[in-house]
Amino acid sequence: MTDVTLTTTTEAGELSRKWVIFTGRLVLALALLLAWEIGARTMGAIFFAPPLDVAMRLVELVRNGQMLTDIVATLRVSALGFVIACIAGVLLPFLLRRSPRLDAAVEPYIMASMGIPKYALAPWLILWFGIGDAPKLVVVVLMVFYIIYIATSAGIRGVDGRLIAMARIAGASERVIAREIIWKSLLPFFFTGLKVALPRAVSATIVGEFLVASEGVGHYIENARQTSDTVGVFAGIVVATVLVLVINAAVNVIERRALAWRPVEREMQV
Amino acid sequence: MTAAPLLEVKSLGKRFPTRAGREPSPWVIQDLSFAVRPGELVTIIGPSGAGKSTLLNMIAQIDTASAGEIVFDGAVVASHDARALRPGFDRKIGYVTQDDNLLPWRTTIDNVLFPIEVQGRLDGKMRAHVEMLIGAVGLAGYERYYPHELSGGMRKRAALIRTLAYDPPVILMDEPFAAVDAQTRTQLQADLLKLWELGRKTIIFVTHDITEAIALGDRTLVLSRQPTHVAAEHLIPIPRPHNVADIFAVEGFAAIYERIRAAIQ
Repeated sequence: MTDVTLTTTTEAGELSRKWVIFTGRLVLALALLLAWEIGARTMGAIFFAPPLDVAMRLVELVRNGQMLTDIVATLRVSALGFVIACIAGVLLPFLLRRSPRLDAAVEPYIMASMGIPKYALAPWLILWFGIGDAPKLVVVVLMVFYIIYIATSAGIRGVDGRLIAMARIAGASERVIAREIIWKSLLPFFFTGLKVALPRAVSATIVGEFLVASEGVGHYIENARQTSDTVGVFAGIVVATVLVLVINAAVNVIERRALAWRPVEREMQV
Repeated sequence: MTAAPLLEVKSLGKRFPTRAGREPSPWVIQDLSFAVRPGELVTIIGPSGAGKSTLLNMIAQIDTASAGEIVFDGAVVASHDARALRPGFDRKIGYVTQDDNLLPWRTTIDNVLFPIEVQGRLDGKMRAHVEMLIGAVGLAGYERYYPHELSGGMRKRAALIRTLAYDPPVILMDEPFAAVDAQTRTQLQADLLKLWELGRKTIIFVTHDITEAIALGDRTLVLSRQPTHVAAEHLIPIPRPHNVADIFAVEGFAAIYERIRAAIQ
């Protein structure tokens, strides 16, 4: 009898807890919208576009297909740059692992080049690569590469040497060890890097589009700014934010699947 | 009893590299020799810090020897050059370490299949063989569990049959049952002997527990303090099959126990 009551109370408690969180989030969202509206009224529509106007603009952009075109343009550059940077950022530490001396020789250069502000390179990149996708691509690759490179290197250093010894004794080749032991154990590091790098890839593309582009979310925002279309600027920012959030959610789903074996995912939830 | 040895350790020595500005590092192991016949289960016992793990690491070729040689089936195994090491000597020497070293992202069955998989020998027959082993050590029903979902004893069993499954002619065991409670340990020892009776592998089993050395072994080598060498050798005069749980009640146990204890300084 006691058991039953106890269970129901906990379940009810769990349920009401979820409702409290949901209500809290809703209240916060409304408060933000309200602050936005008040801001628009006190500072004027040139500096602060009213939320309703922005919403209407978003609907319009969906209807006339402009939003899809811009998103596709932005994603094309960020995704391609992201993939290139990931491949390089993962492969390089794996190659350097095989030769500690080469690793020691190369590392200071990689660290030094990381210090270069990537956006400062923009004028030079335009000079070299013209005004197509290429200069934006280079900036995205540079932004993402270092994050993935550092995450992967840290992951490789963290691999349990005893597991590698076990695999060697069992007759595993170096390639199998790289794939089955090192790659698998650095996955949590890789995903952490991924989550840091993804929003930056999108941001870098958008900033690139401010400078050179004929389409894309960044181009839309910059275009709106030049014509004093504050509503357009805000609409563009909303689109960019939602884009990053959606990509992040997708990475989270992939991560949960790839790391399903981890105890923390299932047992450490409070 | 006079069969040619499968594995011979000859005047083996080990010293670790000297650090700059220090005295030359001492010999950890010096002039250590013994031989193991095919199908023999030899237990090695010694004081802690005697370099037991270092000895097995050298035989398994994950560590270099500083002197002497190891001969496996007529071929010289030990290398003094780290780059020339061949860990596991072409899958001929298996190694069950103190830690289970299960891959946390693989389930029990996939962990046990790992060596077979990387050796490209995975087929229906192997799979059936592995399922038999899993059943034999009581892991049936836990095939799809991840290591962190298993108890310490279960993880030991999985690690044990992972090495037995790919059937290396010699298996080294480095205190594999040291970290489990006494009851589980007795069960694990019984499991090991059961599996050994099935296939009669050649096993070198390192332990610091005299009872375990007697319960499992045909022969027990007693190691000295550093620099380590073989201080004494004792045949275990207890007829097979050994009953691990009652080993101390067997006639002759007390005498051999006393002799081994006296040999360990």
